[in-house]
Amino acid sequence: MTTSTEAAVNQDSTGADRKGFAAREANGRPHTEVAAFRNVSKDFGSVRAVHGSTFTLHPGETVAFLGPNGAGKSTSIDMLLGLKDPSAGQVTLFGGTPRQAIMGGRVGVMLQSGGLLPEVTVRELVGFACKVHPRGYAVDDVLKTAQILDLADRRVDKLSGGQEQRVRFALATAGDSDLIVLDEPTTGMDVTARQAFWSVMKAQADAGRTILFATHYLEEADAIADRVLVMHKGRLIADGTAAEIKARAGQRRISFDLHPQDGGDASTLNALPGITALDVSGHTVRISTSDADATMAAVYRAGLYPRGLEVTGVGLEQAFITITAEATAAEGN
Amino acid sequence: MSSLIRLEVLRVLRNRRYLFFTVFFPAMMFFFYATSFKNQTFDGISYKTYYMVSMATFGTLSASLNTAMRISLERKSGWTRQLRLTALPGWAYVASKVIAAGVVTLPSVLVVFGLGAVEGVHFPASTWLGMGLAVWAGGFVFAAAGVALGYAAAPDTVQPITMVAMMAMAFLGGSWFPVTGGLKSVGQYTPVYLYNELAKYPVDGVSVGASQVIGLAAYLAVFAALAAWLYQRDRKTV
Repeated sequence: MTTSTEAAVNQDSTGADRKGFAAREANGRPHTEVAAFRNVSKDFGSVRAVHGSTFTLHPGETVAFLGPNGAGKSTSIDMLLGLKDPSAGQVTLFGGTPRQAIMGGRVGVMLQSGGLLPEVTVRELVGFACKVHPRGYAVDDVLKTAQILDLADRRVDKLSGGQEQRVRFALATAGDSDLIVLDEPTTGMDVTARQAFWSVMKAQADAGRTILFATHYLEEADAIADRVLVMHKGRLIADGTAAEIKARAGQRRISFDLHPQDGGDASTLNALPGITALDVSGHTVRISTSDADATMAAVYRAGLYPRGLEVTGVGLEQAFITITAEATAAEGN
Repeated sequence: MSSLIRLEVLRVLRNRRYLFFTVFFPAMMFFFYATSFKNQTFDGISYKTYYMVSMATFGTLSASLNTAMRISLERKSGWTRQLRLTALPGWAYVASKVIAAGVVTLPSVLVVFGLGAVEGVHFPASTWLGMGLAVWAGGFVFAAAGVALGYAAAPDTVQPITMVAMMAMAFLGGSWFPVTGGLKSVGQYTPVYLYNELAKYPVDGVSVGASQVIGLAAYLAVFAALAAWLYQRDRKTV
């Protein structure tokens, strides 16, 4: 079964426990899915927060849940963790209910904010998390991994925002969990802190854990995730690698300068093939196109002389805007 | 579970507010009363005994109701949510709060009783033990009330509500001075009054009616049922 998971593990701190992973799989129903949403919807009164969502998480994946605020990410994560019940459809974690998976210590969770206890030290709080985890690690190891050994004796209520995030991360990694769920983990971190955070997280993924994180930082989804789930207005509108999603948007951006003596006007430009958006400001022309080759060939055929030509692929951000715009348009029809 | 209780107890003991209202304030008030009333008696018992018991119950009341503020704040901060994502059973949170309340009420009882002994209150060991047990056990009535209040009120309102409830109940319950006349006709049905009465039962010449025991048990049942209901409601909405 999960040979890739076992093969990926060579850290001595987790090696013995990962064999336990296989054993747990053998004892339970055999499955190759970490989590599954089957046609899951969630209504709050007359508002539908999540609309017929279906997806499966596989062992070892690092998955980004991407979407703007109000897209349904947090509601989906709450249902995944059993904090909210779906109005319709079925949610399973490791083949059972979310609660069973959590009781079995298979899930580590890092909440977006809050969730910390005042009046205790970092060591006491993390030590507590280690103790209640069915396969908890030694508290010093967890503090070391989260790079907060130096904060161990500080009071939790006397930490800065970035330090709090690292404590939350330590709570999520206090034991040998198979899935780590992070809800907007880098909110409020500066660039350096974010990079440090993801390098620590990467080690967790390399140890064979499945990771699901919600984010609205597109570059994070692009750089970290093997797979991106895009949510928009409660619907799951894209599911694939970052590259696939960018390709799906299929857009290129072309920009060049066009001087009056070189000919061309707005109507010529508007008639170009493949064009989806046109912006002319002064001499600068910016075009979005679904077929950059055809667009540029037509520019030259029309006898125009573009200067300072640049053709760029769109980032995930632009792809995201395109896909969500499509989804909104489809909804309107 | 035991690690959660340990954490709770540690937190309360580190809290200055707890030290003041639960340990220092009742001890100070007892000292004040004991020096003002010297050897006068009321209703067959000395004022010193009366106030020793009243202040021990007040400290316990304060520590127990303080649970409300903690629960309310921790619901808001997301700590209860974080706990639901651990392998601890759902009831462990409330259970640990009630048990921790049972632990942190002990210092106030011991300090006030100790001061009482220094001030010349004499009892056989069995009477001391009986009173201590009654004060301690009665505290759970208010721990249940604290849990209910913690799930009912938002953090910004829970503090004034708790303070007003505590002071009103202590006033009607005769903690500050013995209630008589019209005040007694109302006060004798309030939980702190019954609690104070129960706590004095081991003293010679004091009798406690079955109706008072039943009354306090009824308060416990009502508060516990309210707490259970509000807790369930909260779990559905988090």
